[in-house]
Amino acid sequence: MGTALKEEDIERQKVLTVAYQPKVKYAWATGIAIGRFLNGLKAGEILGTRCEHCGRVVVPPRIFCEWCFKRSDSWVKLPDTGIVNTFSISYITTDTTRVKTPIIPAVIGIDSTTETGFLHLIGGVKPDDVRIDMRVKAVWLDPSQRKGSITDIKYFAPLR
Amino acid sequence: MHMSSELKVEGDFPVHFRYTAGLAGERFLREIKVNGRLVAARCSKCDLNYLPPRIYCERCLSKLEDYVTIENIGTVDAFTVCREDSDGKDFPQPVTVALVRFPLAHGGIVHKMKGEVAVGDKVHVVFKEKSKRTGSILDIEYFEKIT
Repeated sequence: MGTALKEEDIERQKVLTVAYQPKVKYAWATGIAIGRFLNGLKAGEILGTRCEHCGRVVVPPRIFCEWCFKRSDSWVKLPDTGIVNTFSISYITTDTTRVKTPIIPAVIGIDSTTETGFLHLIGGVKPDDVRIDMRVKAVWLDPSQRKGSITDIKYFAPLR
Repeated sequence: MHMSSELKVEGDFPVHFRYTAGLAGERFLREIKVNGRLVAARCSKCDLNYLPPRIYCERCLSKLEDYVTIENIGTVDAFTVCREDSDGKDFPQPVTVALVRFPLAHGGIVHKMKGEVAVGDKVHVVFKEKSKRTGSILDIEYFEKIT
């Protein structure tokens, strides 16, 4: 059994509907490593952690190495350059709104790190010109506008 | 901002809902809107009147198409006094919400209660005046004690 409804059935009020918008809020505790990472962004620095056991450097940082199960409490300041590991050209936003100018989410492998990358946006380039392995550099918000968030970096732009 | 390494990140999600009541729910709400009465879906095989109505019997899985009017006199089965809304904000006045069962109906209705209440109280549904009804559960104003 099933009763199909079309958008127009709802618009013309053929059926009763209840529309509502719940307030969905979250408060997320960053933990020790991400907290320090975000404070670093506010100061214009990308901070990672190094496992002294295997030598691996990761960003975003973690307080343990999941290869060695050891604490990684050695902090390193990383360059704000890297390469595009993978990317996508998206014509919808996270709430599925359609946009004319695409957003380009990408995984950026930050220089001096080992097999890790973080998710950010590519900007300052035509979507068709983005390539895997392209070298990019962070474009930062003005220091007065930074608030200790991943969006303190506006996007990564091609390094010329 | 404090510089301890643990931070709290706050935000919100845009979430929009549009809910349709389904076949039986639609009938239930329209009966309230148009006729100011409560209806239940009847399974004659199991001799059960489902309130709110459903489209099938939960015992024998028969399709239910017969509706019966439920007399508007019920009994408070349980109640709770709510001091905050679903967003955790304080109500200006506490709101009492009651589960009311009706003699010949299987199930019941949860709605606001007017005034003080005790389990076992006889109550009836008070509908909004007809011109103000929209076909929503809020066309029921509240339960009121029968004195």
